[in-house]
Amino acid sequence: MSKCILVVEDQEDNRQILRDLLGNAGYELVEAADGEQALAAYAKQRPDLILMDIQLPVMDGYETTRRIRADPESKGIPIIAVTSYALAGDEAKAMAAGCDGYITKPYSPRALLAKVREYLS
Amino acid sequence: TATGLTKKLATKARESLEQQTATSEVLQVISSSSGDLQPIFETMLANARRLCEAKFGTLHLYDGGEFHSAASHNTPPALADLRHRFRPHPESGPGYVAKTKRVAHYDDIRTGRAYLEGSPVAVALADLAGVRTTLSVPMLKDNELIGVISIYRQEVRPFTDKQIELVRNFAKQAVIAIENARLLNELRARTTDLARSVEELRALGDVSQAVNSTLDLATVLSTIVSRAVELSGTEAGAIYELNEQLKELQLRSTYGMSEELILALSNQHVGLSEPIFDRAVARREPEQIADLAASPSTPAQDIIACAGFRALLVVPLFARDRVIGALVVRRKVPGTFPENIVDLLKTFAAQSVLAIQNAHLFTEIDEKSRQLEIASQHRSQFLANMSHELRTPLNAILGYTELILDNIYGETPEKMREVLERLHSNGKHLLGLINDVLDLSKIEAGQLTLDLADYSLKDVVDAVVSAVESLAAGKKLSLTRVVGLNLPVGHGDGRRLAQVLLNLVGNAIKFTDKGEVAIKATAENGSFTVAVRDTGPGISPSDQGKIFEEFQQADNSATKRKGGTGLGLSIARCIIAMHGGRIWVESDVGKGSTFAFTIPVKVEQQVVEP
Repeated sequence: MSKCILVVEDQEDNRQILRDLLGNAGYELVEAADGEQALAAYAKQRPDLILMDIQLPVMDGYETTRRIRADPESKGIPIIAVTSYALAGDEAKAMAAGCDGYITKPYSPRALLAKVREYLS
Repeated sequence: TATGLTKKLATKARESLEQQTATSEVLQVISSSSGDLQPIFETMLANARRLCEAKFGTLHLYDGGEFHSAASHNTPPALADLRHRFRPHPESGPGYVAKTKRVAHYDDIRTGRAYLEGSPVAVALADLAGVRTTLSVPMLKDNELIGVISIYRQEVRPFTDKQIELVRNFAKQAVIAIENARLLNELRARTTDLARSVEELRALGDVSQAVNSTLDLATVLSTIVSRAVELSGTEAGAIYELNEQLKELQLRSTYGMSEELILALSNQHVGLSEPIFDRAVARREPEQIADLAASPSTPAQDIIACAGFRALLVVPLFARDRVIGALVVRRKVPGTFPENIVDLLKTFAAQSVLAIQNAHLFTEIDEKSRQLEIASQHRSQFLANMSHELRTPLNAILGYTELILDNIYGETPEKMREVLERLHSNGKHLLGLINDVLDLSKIEAGQLTLDLADYSLKDVVDAVVSAVESLAAGKKLSLTRVVGLNLPVGHGDGRRLAQVLLNLVGNAIKFTDKGEVAIKATAENGSFTVAVRDTGPGISPSDQGKIFEEFQQADNSATKRKGGTGLGLSIARCIIAMHGGRIWVESDVGKGSTFAFTIPVKVEQQVVEP
């Protein structure tokens, strides 16, 4: 049974890339375009890994992560923050919100794939 | 006879004892005196009269050719109406003393010229008081006559030498007493002066402290007004500030003024045209009205007079040449203000000007700081936004290109592959430029902050090498690294240091067409030193100064062909400087280049660049 990845990303282009990349690599994808959709998708079906864009409209990635982490059952699910890394302390903020790792934009799709594989093995 | 001699001796001894006792009594009074001469003189006269067996005694002080009565003892009531101030008859006792400064001893006043010529004093003494024998002893200070002590008998019986000697002693003591009293009074005056000075200084100190310590103008002015009123011996005061637009003097701070008075004055809208202010400003000096009742009235002055005040002192407040207000004190008792008070208030006025100016300055600084803070926040937000906006489309470009090259969308034809590779490298180049520009913007805004944490220098070198390996291999350059064993754990921004090293190594590879690029990393005496050596064309000394500056590249068509924005080295310089280190180059044309930097192993706080 293939692993399920929840992709939280507001830009269509980026979702497409991840869809093509991760889909081609054999993962099942669930997509959310903002924090609310992400929480709904999470409630509907627990993913094996979450890719969380930080720069989301309305509710940002930190807040969405915090809300997911409020559920004790989220403990085993790795959350990788995807951030533009504009300001110092972004990494620390991500960790504080409950992320396990991060990747900075623009990322090399190959590098992202490697990281996903690392967290799902 | 023996008994007779003993008696005589005993009498003499008793006399001496009495005299000495009298003397010491007087001295005691002098030394315990509070500056009051009356008791001293009276004690003296009492003792003199008693010991000299006189009827009564007087002490007169002398100045300007006249004697005036200072003390008397046992004087007959008949003499009570006697003039207390008189010019002596030259042949009278006092007259003789005044002339010669010597003792005047008359057996019988009736036979003296003064009496015979009808001098009022002599006549009164002789006829009203029955005086016959008189003794007048001079009181001399530095050989100047300052008074005379006189004792009188109502019989003709001359005084003995001993008695005369006694009175002379008393005279000396009286002089001492007078001198003491004078000194004591002077001391008192000085002490009062001093106390007042201390009070003034303390008040000034209070005011200075208030001016310096509190930024609250109201508190400062209130302190100044209250001290000014207290020290000027007035009942009320105020500080006015000139409102330039309304041309009105507005009350800023008051003391001792009732609500009604404040309201009434405010309603008057007093301006610089008010006569007393007009005069004060024109002369640039304090102006006073000693009595409002005697001065031409104005509506404002009437209001003040109604409130019970009679005297005013107005001190104009000048900031350089501009009048900015006035300090006013008001007294209920009419009279001019002494010069020292006016001077004191001028000092307070100066302090008021300082306080008012300070307050305005602080408000301005506060406002500017707030504006700067807001501008800074806007800038910060802008940079964050730009970062996101620029990186998002680039992510799509680079991402898709990579996926195509990875054959996600099917086998990519060879011809297409080459083009796509070029697309990808251009995209990466663009990314590099955007990053550099954003970094530089942050540095200029003072908003580049180091992410200080533990890092491994070896890991940094390894990361950079793996990033550029293929690049070096593509140009057939030898890429080597020498990393010291057992390097200590560093504390700083590993990511930024990697950025610096990547820039140096990238440049080395970019500008070297054959040979090698060697990286060396060592630690010594608490510092890391990293050097990147290449076998490229080298950099002339004149260019070495320029390359670290923004937007400058070595002046060479070769470098222009290589491209780049010229920002990398200046960003590197900033990052190294923020770590408290330094970066430099050793090179010469045709001899290759070595770029090196050294930083402390442990950087706990980033260094703020001036």
